[in-house]
Amino acid sequence: MTFNDRIFGVLMIVLAVAYGWGTTQFPEPFGGTEAVGPETFPRLLAVVLALSSLYMVVRPDPDNAWPWSRTGIELIIAVVVLILYAMLLQPLGFIISTTLAVGTLCWRMGSAPVRAFVTGAASGVVVFLLFNFALDLALPLGLLSFLEVS
Amino acid sequence: METLGFLIDGFGVALAPHNLMFALLGAFLGTLIGALPGLGPANGVAILIPLAFTLGLAPETAMIMLTAVYAGAMYGGRISSILLNIPGDEPAMMTCLDGYPMAQQGKASEALAISAVASFIGSLIATIGLILLAPLLADFALTFGPAEYFALFLLAFATLGGITGKNPMKTVVAAAIGLMIATVGIDNTGVQRYTFGVLELYEGVDFIIAIVGLFAISELLFFIEEKAGGGKAKMAVNKLTLSWKDIRNILPSSFRGGVLGFIAGVLPGAGASLGSFIGYTLEKKIVGSKGYFGKGDPRGVAGPEAGNNGASSGALVPMLTLGVPGSGTTAVLLALLISLNITPGPLMFTQNADIVWGVIAALLIGNFLLLVLNIPLVGIFVKLLSVPPMYLLPVVTMIAFVGIYSISNTTFDLYFMVAFGVAGYLFRKLEIPLVPIILGLLLGPEMEKNLRHAMDISDGDWTILWDSGLAIGLWVFAGLGLLLPYIVGPLLRRRMQVQTGTGGPEGD
Repeated sequence: MTFNDRIFGVLMIVLAVAYGWGTTQFPEPFGGTEAVGPETFPRLLAVVLALSSLYMVVRPDPDNAWPWSRTGIELIIAVVVLILYAMLLQPLGFIISTTLAVGTLCWRMGSAPVRAFVTGAASGVVVFLLFNFALDLALPLGLLSFLEVS
Repeated sequence: METLGFLIDGFGVALAPHNLMFALLGAFLGTLIGALPGLGPANGVAILIPLAFTLGLAPETAMIMLTAVYAGAMYGGRISSILLNIPGDEPAMMTCLDGYPMAQQGKASEALAISAVASFIGSLIATIGLILLAPLLADFALTFGPAEYFALFLLAFATLGGITGKNPMKTVVAAAIGLMIATVGIDNTGVQRYTFGVLELYEGVDFIIAIVGLFAISELLFFIEEKAGGGKAKMAVNKLTLSWKDIRNILPSSFRGGVLGFIAGVLPGAGASLGSFIGYTLEKKIVGSKGYFGKGDPRGVAGPEAGNNGASSGALVPMLTLGVPGSGTTAVLLALLISLNITPGPLMFTQNADIVWGVIAALLIGNFLLLVLNIPLVGIFVKLLSVPPMYLLPVVTMIAFVGIYSISNTTFDLYFMVAFGVAGYLFRKLEIPLVPIILGLLLGPEMEKNLRHAMDISDGDWTILWDSGLAIGLWVFAGLGLLLPYIVGPLLRRRMQVQTGTGGPEGD
């Protein structure tokens, strides 16, 4: 099957057209137009991308299988965990969010749940202490801010 | 003789106590990064860059540390090749062929020691080559005008896939995507491009975030997909019984491998994987029927290992002198230079002589450190090798998060990194190489600047881009870089496949 390359190629052609069209929307640079304005280089790129993507559509490589079913769900879980980690890093604080994120990831990758979350907590505490005291870089404490000593 | 003076100054920089300390730390971390499966050298160096910033290291110290990491990673790659029969990084593939059989015969520690010595010789030869060649090339590169630079950048992209690359068109697609991302932000005439009014995009996309996302996060996703969290059973390591005779036996192989590797490293489009491959094939040819290659011949460990380390030092030559890296990891080192506000290229040899020569001297010192680290401490690395990826990768991901977060203390960057990670996973599934994307991100601004300068000089006449003999030469080589994989690629790839029983190399 050769769907992947074809679909991706089409998407990239769309991107190239949109990107190329974007160059017509740039405001006129201060001091009038020059031989090479802000739009010249992007236009070149749009042409190159469009042509090379077209090649992908015409001569696609065989597909790599996508992980459907269980593995696919695991991947989505992992991405969601990473997004939540980024979201909760400041409100919950570094140690708690790291325990949850690293713990969940280890667990989903096949570790026993208790060991997974212990790994998460330990790595969180160690990195926090290392950054705050040895490297003098403040990571957010969040919910644990009552522990703050200073 | 001028070079010698600079080199002595360089030793002055590299031997300063704190620089030496960070070189040692880098060498240790690098070996670890190389040894652990799932943490390639480019990935490892990328994760450490933000940490080098948060430590507030001086430019030369940061550069010395990460160059040591780079050198160390090339040493470390062999450990898992020999013990687990899985290459820690791409170029260590050939080391599996004779290294693993040696380990199976209960000679694991001999194989490790021999490969450490061979790595040392390979790196040493290549570093000397670097010292001799780099100043010459830098002088030559001073004659380049903007048009030649523009052509040189094209050459860099065209040869990035290597002559064993699978589909050069995908390299072009990847390079275009990278260059496009690089155009986001305010350009140097003050025009906003593709910012969509988002404040965080005004300064463009930080390539460090992109690199860490593309490598580290996508690696995590790949491990989850392959369900490789459990790790593999490892070989027991016996007590070392190595005589001088054994070392003497592998010396010629190491020398040959080192020289060949260096040449492969300097040339665009070859790279460390090809370096170790040539090293191995040549050894087989020269030794002939007297050898027992594939069944645990020490020379089959020494040749490719010296070749791979020679190539990795050789790859620093174009990166330092022209500002054009030839491999993934040197691209990441270039990212470090750019973010330290050092303009890479020939001028660096005069303007930042202390950094360049400090780094070169650090490579020499780092080599000795690595040899010392690697023979007695190999036990520690072997122990760490048994940490299963299901614990390792989440923790590495967390460190990547911390590093990116510490650059600007905003979560916006983290979302960006995750997005790049998902994109990186999709690209790898589609076999679109990641390194050209990164190179595009790094070289985009320079490339556009040179195009502008060239056009300003010629007053808008596009023919200036192929007006000089040098420029034409560069264009021709760039064209060859894209065409050759179609002609020689399938042939070479098949030969490598037959020997290793794995897929062809996909950059290093």
